[in-house]
Amino acid sequence: MNIEKGKISSQQLLFLVAGFVQGSVLLIDFTVGITEQQTWIVVFIGLAITTPFFLSFVMLAKRFQGMNLIQINDVVYGRLMGKVVSAYYIFFFLMTLSFNIRDVGELYITFLMPDTPFIFFLTVFTATCAYAVAKGIEVLARVSHLFVVTGLFVIISTFILLIDQMDFSNFLPFFELPFVRMFQGIHIMSAIPFGETLVFLVIMGCLNNTKHMIKNSYIGLLIGTISLLIVSARNTAVLGRTQTIWTSASFQSIRLIDIGTVLTRMDFLIGIAQTVLIFFKCCLFFYALVVSLSQLFGLKSYLPLVLPLAGIEVIIAATVFQSPVDHASITQNAGIIYSAPLMFIFPPLSLLIAKIRGLPRFERGKGK
Amino acid sequence: MFGYIFKKIRYLSLKNKDKSMLQDTIAKKNSEPISSDLERNLEVIKGILSDSSDVTIHEFNFGHDRRFKGALIFINSMVDKEEIHKNVLQPLMYGTLLLNKDIDMDFTQIDTIRRNLISMIDNLKVTLLSDLLDNLLAGATILLIDGSKEALVINPGKRESRAIDEPGTEAIVRGPREGFSENVNVNIALIRQKIKVPDLCVEKFIIGDKSKTDIFIVYIKSVANPKLIEEIKKRLSRIKVDAILESGYIEQFIEDNPYSIFPTISHTERPDKAVAKILEGRAAILIDGTPFVLIMPMVFIESFQSVEDYYSRPFLASIVRVIRFLSYIISTLGPAIYVALTVFHQELIPTQLLISIANGRERVPFPAILEALLMLFTFDILREAGVRLPKSVGQTVGIVGAIVLGQASVEAGLISPIMVIVVSSTAIASFAVPAQTGSGTILRYIYLVLAGLAGGFGVIMGLLATLLHLASLRSFGVPYLWPIAPLDFSGLKDTFIRMPLWTVSKRPKAIVWSDFDSYKQSPDLMPSPNGEGN
Amino acid sequence: MKKKMNIPIMNISIMKLALCFLILFTFSGCLGGREINDLEIVIGMGIDKDESTGNILLTAQVVKKEEVGGSGKGEGGGESKVFWNVSSIGNSIFDAVRQITHKTGDRLFVSHNQVVIFGKDIAAEGLQKYIDFFLRAHEMRPTALILIAEGRASDIMDVKPETEKFPAINIAKLIKSYGFTSHLYKVNMKDFASCLMSATTAPLAPLVSLSQNKDDKDIYVSGMVVFKNGKMIGKLNQEEVRGLLWVLGKVKGGVIIVSSPDKQGNAVLEIIKAKSKVTPEIKNGKIAMHVSIKEESSLAEQSTTENLATCPAFDEMQKASAEIIRQEILAAFNKSKELNADIFGFGEILHKKYSKKWKELKDNWDDIYPTIELKLEIETKILKTDLLKKPAFPSNEGE
Repeated sequence: MNIEKGKISSQQLLFLVAGFVQGSVLLIDFTVGITEQQTWIVVFIGLAITTPFFLSFVMLAKRFQGMNLIQINDVVYGRLMGKVVSAYYIFFFLMTLSFNIRDVGELYITFLMPDTPFIFFLTVFTATCAYAVAKGIEVLARVSHLFVVTGLFVIISTFILLIDQMDFSNFLPFFELPFVRMFQGIHIMSAIPFGETLVFLVIMGCLNNTKHMIKNSYIGLLIGTISLLIVSARNTAVLGRTQTIWTSASFQSIRLIDIGTVLTRMDFLIGIAQTVLIFFKCCLFFYALVVSLSQLFGLKSYLPLVLPLAGIEVIIAATVFQSPVDHASITQNAGIIYSAPLMFIFPPLSLLIAKIRGLPRFERGKGK
Repeated sequence: MFGYIFKKIRYLSLKNKDKSMLQDTIAKKNSEPISSDLERNLEVIKGILSDSSDVTIHEFNFGHDRRFKGALIFINSMVDKEEIHKNVLQPLMYGTLLLNKDIDMDFTQIDTIRRNLISMIDNLKVTLLSDLLDNLLAGATILLIDGSKEALVINPGKRESRAIDEPGTEAIVRGPREGFSENVNVNIALIRQKIKVPDLCVEKFIIGDKSKTDIFIVYIKSVANPKLIEEIKKRLSRIKVDAILESGYIEQFIEDNPYSIFPTISHTERPDKAVAKILEGRAAILIDGTPFVLIMPMVFIESFQSVEDYYSRPFLASIVRVIRFLSYIISTLGPAIYVALTVFHQELIPTQLLISIANGRERVPFPAILEALLMLFTFDILREAGVRLPKSVGQTVGIVGAIVLGQASVEAGLISPIMVIVVSSTAIASFAVPAQTGSGTILRYIYLVLAGLAGGFGVIMGLLATLLHLASLRSFGVPYLWPIAPLDFSGLKDTFIRMPLWTVSKRPKAIVWSDFDSYKQSPDLMPSPNGEGN
Repeated sequence: MKKKMNIPIMNISIMKLALCFLILFTFSGCLGGREINDLEIVIGMGIDKDESTGNILLTAQVVKKEEVGGSGKGEGGGESKVFWNVSSIGNSIFDAVRQITHKTGDRLFVSHNQVVIFGKDIAAEGLQKYIDFFLRAHEMRPTALILIAEGRASDIMDVKPETEKFPAINIAKLIKSYGFTSHLYKVNMKDFASCLMSATTAPLAPLVSLSQNKDDKDIYVSGMVVFKNGKMIGKLNQEEVRGLLWVLGKVKGGVIIVSSPDKQGNAVLEIIKAKSKVTPEIKNGKIAMHVSIKEESSLAEQSTTENLATCPAFDEMQKASAEIIRQEILAAFNKSKELNADIFGFGEILHKKYSKKWKELKDNWDDIYPTIELKLEIETKILKTDLLKKPAFPSNEGE
């Protein structure tokens, strides 16, 4: 039995996916150091590469209608192997969530409120996430479009406010970078904003109607990609070659907004908007973590796990890295490698095994 | 130590349980049937009501030969004696005297009396002592006849009530001036006058062990969701209390989210508003003794709608509605944003403004958060004092508070002038959305404290939590944030702006909750002078 | 019907959460907020070299909050300054910023800093090592203007302006109004850093000078300073700056004076709009830059009696103004060759178009730059004559 009883519609899935991808908007600042003015190309290529894998997630969820990732693993790989694979996924959720929470803390401690203790941000942020997760996926799905609209509004309005400072020749020359750096950038881009959409394997089990799920979820992915593209285009056009030196290019470009000396130093407002976007992503990750863990343990309800896991997340986030430098280098090197099989090997493999063993039909018969 | 306290509390609650069981046995005793012996009946009644001096028991003989014995029991203060005298006592005593001796009627039969002698319409027979007492205490006159096992309950024709008056809490410029009153029968009449369909259901409940308050659920059977009505009845039927003195009692016993600061049941004093909501598929609960009618389910945006929006043309109404939304935002976030900006994010303030704020605060000894809390607290005191006092004195309080206190405290250097501006604009804004005054006040303090502790981060976390809380609320199954979350485009026609009436042809989907579209008007009503008429 | 009754567990978890928040807040106390009246609001900073020690002398212009309002009170004491130039000496800029707290008693609040003025000696030594703090510190704005003082920065900041209250804001205003003459242009921290990061482009910064007649001191912008490898190497005068701006397409306005067709006086044209387009070309190993400029102007003033609002006169004036523009551009170009500093950013333009060849060019750019050929194509238009059709002289058309 799926532990989640709430139902979401496929229209809400669209916004969930879009909001989730938007939540990775800070990542642009991370890749820009590697791929410079070609970041926007990298976003495109990342999307193109991830599309088949993303579709495999959706197809998998469609085949195993009403089941979440853990149940699918159990069915596909058998009881024991399934548990092992699931544990791998849960470890991934656990770590990625703590990295994201740490991102928020670093965002504030570096740019916005450097005098406030780091742990404070982590705790308050995680507690709010926990509150959201305790409300259930239905509530998150219900407000998802608000997050997407807020994100798009902020991204587009900053683009417009900065349009007079843009120099579109900053995108030139194309294809200057060595292939290794491009590859590295593409790998990060396909693994993080797009590959992480595998959390939806946990969520798509709650769909009340699988009719339009492929179309809607892909549109959601595209909306998220458009946000990433606008942000990377804005940063490159405004900052030009300096974009690689800043800790966060997005913040720096927004700091340049100067409309009549009244609308200046908007970075805090944008920081808030980005917090909101990451918040949404973290909620979905947290939800996936909590649901899959309680599904693994066969609990009746996931609510008892929410607070303890929140505590664990805060502790991991506070201690896992020493500094942003540490954070960046580990994520860049180790972080993406260990997560790659989860995104690019297991879901297609599951789909293949399911096809060969004819699992969905069997399962459907059993389910009803 | 704590264990001891818990035990004590548990003991006390058990003790109370015993007492309530005792009351139940008394009630059981009352539910015995009326005996045919008048003397005995009167004795029992006297025994029960012995302490009340306003109970009148009038024994009399009647019939042409005065061989029948009867008694009228009523409560002095609640009965129009003139009417009873004219319509009950006179026919019984004088009317029967004039009867022809040959026609021998058996006046021990209540039905005979009822059919032939009583000229008051609203009467009924009861057989149980408890029913008799209930009606007696509700203001009826009881006729007991020796030899009959039944009693006749004669209800008074009229009850003292306030005249229909303009509602005090929801004044409008254009629209009907009538408001509900304390008499529930009058209120039902006001609704019936506006909805003349046979399937307008008015279902009666009596709630309250002591108050025995009449409660009516009013809805239109063909529009309202039957599950909603079922749910309301279920929730009403589990209320076991002493008394229902106002609709707020019912509201607090049946609402979905007792821990939420947001109301999930709306109330109104205006019949036109109640009728509009009933026509949309909602149910109204009318409670005797209060002009406030409960309406459910409620969604959040209802707080920002006013009946007058629909009476005036859509353009101004839309602007006014946007202003109400803004007012709510200002009233909850105003002081918090000011504190967050001046304490944490001074870089966001334009340079010249920053310098002048800094200059204004130069002599202020308190931190901004304390200053804001102080001012808000003062404002709340002023408001509370102003509301409870008689009108003329209330004005004085306002003047003293606003002008003398505000100006003097600025001049004394206790408060900065900008803080006065912030708090007073917050205060004014908070009056623009009366339905959410309660939640607004609480949120204002919460956000202010969050802003004082963690600046914009605190405020945004508070806002997110509020949003999620709002989205998780339901009122009788309807999502509270509908049509914003979940998104419903047809509902958005009447949310932030009010589209012209002829564009909104369907009833709100979330409230009617039916699979097919529920139309309230034909969809092609756009006025055009050269239209179908020619 | 969708219906979800409250699960008791939910309520308990909500209460637990609330408790967590409460504990967090009570123990965390004050979380890094600063009351607005404790701020030392800095609106301008000057960096000089301390003559005796060779350390950095930082001058910060701090707002005197209690003096600013001046709503009626102390009108007679108009002499009281509303700002305070507080200075300190330190080994680095950040060191000096912290040393200043010995005098102010509170941290400087630099989020509202409008201008950063470097003294001439600092500029000569090289700005590269001083600019890091201004980019790195989270309170600094990247839109703060960067300026070079002809003498000492602290002297510039002492001059009390007549209409503005604060010297720093006055200087910022001077720079931001560059569009009226196009004799300078504003350079903020981010622009400067962007040029510094380029391998070839030479950064510029406006030069502020002090003029003194009797007791009155005035500040004016006398040109722009050219940097190479972060060091000041020369100066462009006002005409040369405009020549540069023509190519960069940053001319926003200004005055061109041409002699009138009858050579009796002058015609004064006001620039309304100017556009430029630079296309690089590499032919036989020789680099040529094609610059095409489109300019529009209006007749703003004339000092002859002849009616200039005629087609032939317009033609002549257009030609004459094109010639002046050409002169200005060539002046700037020659100056840049003389300094061997790529102020036009030709290197970057080449980089964008010929990204492969650029790798070879980049390394000996200093040798290549003086050999670049400039091909100019200037198109000027006079669009209007403002309020007059003819000059206010007796008409001589009757003859």
